[in-house]
Amino acid sequence: MTRILLRNKLDDCLAAWQKAGFSVLAPVKRHEMSTFGEVQKASDMALDLVLTERTIKDHFFPQTEPLIKYKIGKHQIDSETMTPPERKRVFFGVRPCDASGLAIDDPLFGWDYKDDYWFRRRDNSVIVTIACSQADDFCMCTSVKLSPDSSKGADVLLRPLSDGSGWQVEAVSDRGTALLETISSLLQESSAETAPLPQVAEKFDVEKVMEWLADPASFESQFWKDISLRCVGCGSCTFLCPTCHCFDIQDEGDTYQGIRRKNWDSCSFPLFTMHTSGNNPRNTQSTRWRQRIMHKFNYYRGKFGVNSCSGCGRCTRQCPVDMGITETLQAISNLPR
Amino acid sequence: MGIQEQYRNEAAALLSSGEVKLVIGFGAGSTADRRRPLFARTPEQAQKFVLDAACIANLSTYLVAEGLLSDGKKVGVFLKPDGIRSVNILISEAQLKPEQVVILGYAIENGKEVTPLEGRNISDFSIGEKIRKLTPPPHVIEAAEKIEAMSPAERFEFWKEHFSKCIKCYACRQVCPMCYCRRCIVDVNQPQWVSTSSHTLGNFEWNLVRAFHLAGRCAACGACDRACPVNIPLRLVNYRMGKEVRSAFNYVAGENSDQKPVLASFKQDDPETFIL
Repeated sequence: MTRILLRNKLDDCLAAWQKAGFSVLAPVKRHEMSTFGEVQKASDMALDLVLTERTIKDHFFPQTEPLIKYKIGKHQIDSETMTPPERKRVFFGVRPCDASGLAIDDPLFGWDYKDDYWFRRRDNSVIVTIACSQADDFCMCTSVKLSPDSSKGADVLLRPLSDGSGWQVEAVSDRGTALLETISSLLQESSAETAPLPQVAEKFDVEKVMEWLADPASFESQFWKDISLRCVGCGSCTFLCPTCHCFDIQDEGDTYQGIRRKNWDSCSFPLFTMHTSGNNPRNTQSTRWRQRIMHKFNYYRGKFGVNSCSGCGRCTRQCPVDMGITETLQAISNLPR
Repeated sequence: MGIQEQYRNEAAALLSSGEVKLVIGFGAGSTADRRRPLFARTPEQAQKFVLDAACIANLSTYLVAEGLLSDGKKVGVFLKPDGIRSVNILISEAQLKPEQVVILGYAIENGKEVTPLEGRNISDFSIGEKIRKLTPPPHVIEAAEKIEAMSPAERFEFWKEHFSKCIKCYACRQVCPMCYCRRCIVDVNQPQWVSTSSHTLGNFEWNLVRAFHLAGRCAACGACDRACPVNIPLRLVNYRMGKEVRSAFNYVAGENSDQKPVLASFKQDDPETFIL
């Protein structure tokens, strides 16, 4: 016997969370795009998507974030730090790959300096993951050693019931247990079966990939030039990625007043590494693509013990020239050795 | 022999005779319905070319890749009429030497049938009147008319909502053959002309700068629209700008390579209706 949440109890569930002071964010469709947005009722949610086009990362590490307001007077400089509000949020219907993305990025934002902007949002958020019941051609969670029902990064894991009537409920963190207490009267004991997980074939051998990347001889390989020939150097793969986290700091305003902002940046852009001297150490697209792969499957792992990829496949799904990480890693797996 | 076989053989012949150093075409993609740009440098690689109704990308964008044509050698490229129009614009803007491009032209009829276009040099394509009559797909015109019928306030709201999704990945710029500036205005950061922030102002700045910059230069291939990962209907913006230029100057971008760029040239009988 396990506890289940029925789909038809979802509205009550939302009401209970709102009453407990949470905003609820779930997959929504707006202006021909799917993303996570605030919802008031169950019918606002688009729970049947394989994945939303935008990741939940956007709600923890926004594309543009005001950091400081400044004003420079004749005799005085005033500045005001702008930290995000401590708003309690439930993210309902997160896919396992997106939840894992948050967990992958946690050590980065808490490494030598604890990023208040990330952790204020993380600490006030509860992640309710729904295990996948469908996958598409681009999904590759199993290739990075995750799975369609991974609970990594989740506080609560829901598994769809085979008759589609609801989900089996499991708390996977203290925060999740506390959240479930707020809806305890809506949960019921049941022995209903869960739906089978979708088959996500392993598309590459990540061990082989990591081994090849770690070999210093690979750095100057012709492979990078050949594979990245058609890359047009847009940043869509990086911006849609649940784990990419590079940013730039910009002052907007004039000499006397303005706002300092933290904006997303991308290793795909030449400007990313441009020196003030005009020299660019990564001055071709192949060196930038190499950096992206090396960062995800070599450097990040070296520093934080985990690969910076959760296998969502968005980089390939949305690439205007049908590139993406999968093809590159497949090609590396198949290199003669 | 189907067009795919014919063009594979032709590309292989161009490569083996040394006439071109490279042929840019399409190969199989990561799923059954996707095609991806494929670069062939040997006759064997040319046998991997795919040419069917799914080959809709405008490959002319690779012709302006930095350094590609700087050695003076020729490049072959698979192009639909919109790609050929792009090449005309690039030549008229002095970005390409016509003799460096060998065109393997094709058209897609009714979204299904792929037919070859005769001629291999850009000058072989006398496409003036044909191009003038060329219109975007009906759904694009329908959507554009719907927006034109809106009140200015409604229209502003429409674009505000769409531009609010913009993530500034610049995929629209990167896939566009007309966006060949070695340093785009948004990448100039000393001083920072255009805000890199993805807030309302920053997003409007980017999308409007691009719309103005493409006025009278857009080949209407729709690459920006297809590339946008957040589904902003960008081709509607360019369609509207193209319409403006057509009505003001009777000018359609890409008709031939002898055209002078419309906003960089002057005729004594140019209308001055827009001057207040």
